[in-house]
Amino acid sequence: MKQLLGTPVSDYIPALGLLVLTILYLATAYNYAPDARAVPAGVAWVMLVLGILDLISRTRTKAGTVLMHWLNPAGDADKMAEHKRYPALKQIGAVLWVAGFAAAMVLVGILYAVPLYVFASLYVRGRRPLLLALGVSAAATAMIWLLFVAVLGLELYPGVLFSEF
Amino acid sequence: MLQMWLGGIEGLLQVRELAFLGLGMFIGLFFGAIPGLGGAAALALLMPLTYGLEPFSALALSGGVMGGVPMGGSITAILLNTPGSAPNAATAIDGYPLAQQGKAGMAIGAAASANAIGGIIGTVSVLAILPIAKDIVLLFGPPEFFLLAMLGLVIVSTTSRGKLLRGLITGAFGLMVAFIGYNDVSGGERFTYGIEYLWDGVHLVPALIGLFAVAEMINLYVKGGSVSNNPASVKITSMTSGLLETFRHWPTVIRGSLIGTVVGAVPGVGGVVASFLSYSMTVQAAKESEKDSFGKGNIKGVIAPEAAINAKDCSALIPTLAFGIPGGVEMAVFMGILIVHGMQPGPLMLVDHQVEIYGLIWALTASCVLASFVGLLLVRPLARVTLLDSQILVPLVLCVAFAGSYAIDMTIENVVITAIFGVIGYLMIRFDYPRLTIVIALVLGASAERNFHQTMLMSDGQWAIYIVRPICLLLLAGIVILLALPIARGVSQQIAGAKPSAQGG
Repeated sequence: MKQLLGTPVSDYIPALGLLVLTILYLATAYNYAPDARAVPAGVAWVMLVLGILDLISRTRTKAGTVLMHWLNPAGDADKMAEHKRYPALKQIGAVLWVAGFAAAMVLVGILYAVPLYVFASLYVRGRRPLLLALGVSAAATAMIWLLFVAVLGLELYPGVLFSEF
Repeated sequence: MLQMWLGGIEGLLQVRELAFLGLGMFIGLFFGAIPGLGGAAALALLMPLTYGLEPFSALALSGGVMGGVPMGGSITAILLNTPGSAPNAATAIDGYPLAQQGKAGMAIGAAASANAIGGIIGTVSVLAILPIAKDIVLLFGPPEFFLLAMLGLVIVSTTSRGKLLRGLITGAFGLMVAFIGYNDVSGGERFTYGIEYLWDGVHLVPALIGLFAVAEMINLYVKGGSVSNNPASVKITSMTSGLLETFRHWPTVIRGSLIGTVVGAVPGVGGVVASFLSYSMTVQAAKESEKDSFGKGNIKGVIAPEAAINAKDCSALIPTLAFGIPGGVEMAVFMGILIVHGMQPGPLMLVDHQVEIYGLIWALTASCVLASFVGLLLVRPLARVTLLDSQILVPLVLCVAFAGSYAIDMTIENVVITAIFGVIGYLMIRFDYPRLTIVIALVLGASAERNFHQTMLMSDGQWAIYIVRPICLLLLAGIVILLALPIARGVSQQIAGAKPSAQGG
């Protein structure tokens, strides 16, 4: 893996991501009136400093080691080794399944998204038996309907595709 | 005074009131256990149903709900790392690792007894404080509230042992998120990027469901297996061992209960701060050798927040009833029930409805104790959940979490927020950033900003106001010391480490 100042490039991603986010936030903040931006901009400047310190502390330079020791002794990159065991694709896949479920809820509504997601999750992703997948997805849908519709009397979201508007 | 206490007990000890108390407790347990619902949702849904009830029955029902919610929330927090209500997120930090180690029964036993004792201590404190409540709350003005929020953030950052920098980063990130939405000070919206939903800001409960429930489910998806690391070893350890643990760690219970009482009495701070602060203080007070065990299944990490949550519920009645300032979201909804029944919260309520107030306090206490016993009865069947195959468990929990997120105010955008914060939470787990500080920042961000601006108005923009007021000075000193200590520790450890190597070299 490519390294920069003794550290794998991928280890800089969170700190860099936060820095980019903070810069965008600051840029937006300066579009507002001084009163409205005072506190958010102040916090964002602090965040910028903290983000730079985080970035430096990730390097294997002398300054990085000192900073890591003073401010983040338990935050050593080696501590993340556990997650490094899992392939990146597997982690991205897990995130995408959750994001897909949320998207399905928005698109087709809760009562269709629940059985679809549970079935797909068990049968396609988990490779569980068809009958088990069907049974669990039916049970999950019944549970959601009983709890939110029958007991609480709520109207479950019908989905963008099935909405009147 | 004693007459009023007895009047409250007498009013509650009627068959109908007791039945409503029991019903409320079961509803509270149920709502508390479902991520995203919690006490506020339960009370809001029950509000229309109390129209036809006598005021005392309505108070018994409400007290039952509020007493039952924390226990329900702690069960799912421990077993599934999915806090039923936001304050239980602190319980999950050590409760869930205990469940993974096959000690779910012990953790829930400890949570139940800490809950009950916390409730009782909270009640005793409220009975003592209520008469002098006004004087205490009036000591705090905007500068003190602002510094209190900052102190809360710093305390929690330093609790993330060895991760001060990352704790502060997530705290600052939480504050940045908390500033999204309508701005009370200038009257416009900020950082909404044209999204109407964000005018109300990022809703706390969907964000918390994402940060804790969804993030853990993504993590479980990645890891596979079941919630328990070793399914074969999961057994319900004697619940009495959990009960005894609470008594063995009595200073933790007392500390947690007192923190809960104090935090609950401060309007707008709420249960999340109480539970996390209690957890943080317990970590701070632990021996050096013990500190590393927090977050990995230390029973004190379960006891401390649970004691604080119930104690807070009792003392949150103080600002709600005495000043009409709700102690939190749940209390804000509860105020609606009081108003529906002709009881206007405020100083006059302490004069006109004393019997009802004490009846409510007893109802809340009885519900805390009762819910703990009932919760214990439910431990065995619920603990089996930890043995479930993650391929089955994850979709089921996600269904309830997302549907619960939607049900808060019937807004589908909540689901999107939950998903976004789920991913953020997973990234925080993945890249080793603590999630505690972001919660406190989300809760306190808006009020901290409001108090900051009020302070600046009060002082004509003079920052000196933060050092000329005695309470401010104390709070400021606390912040400086807490920030300096871990750095000083790091420096001294480095110097100590350098000396032997220099001698050796």
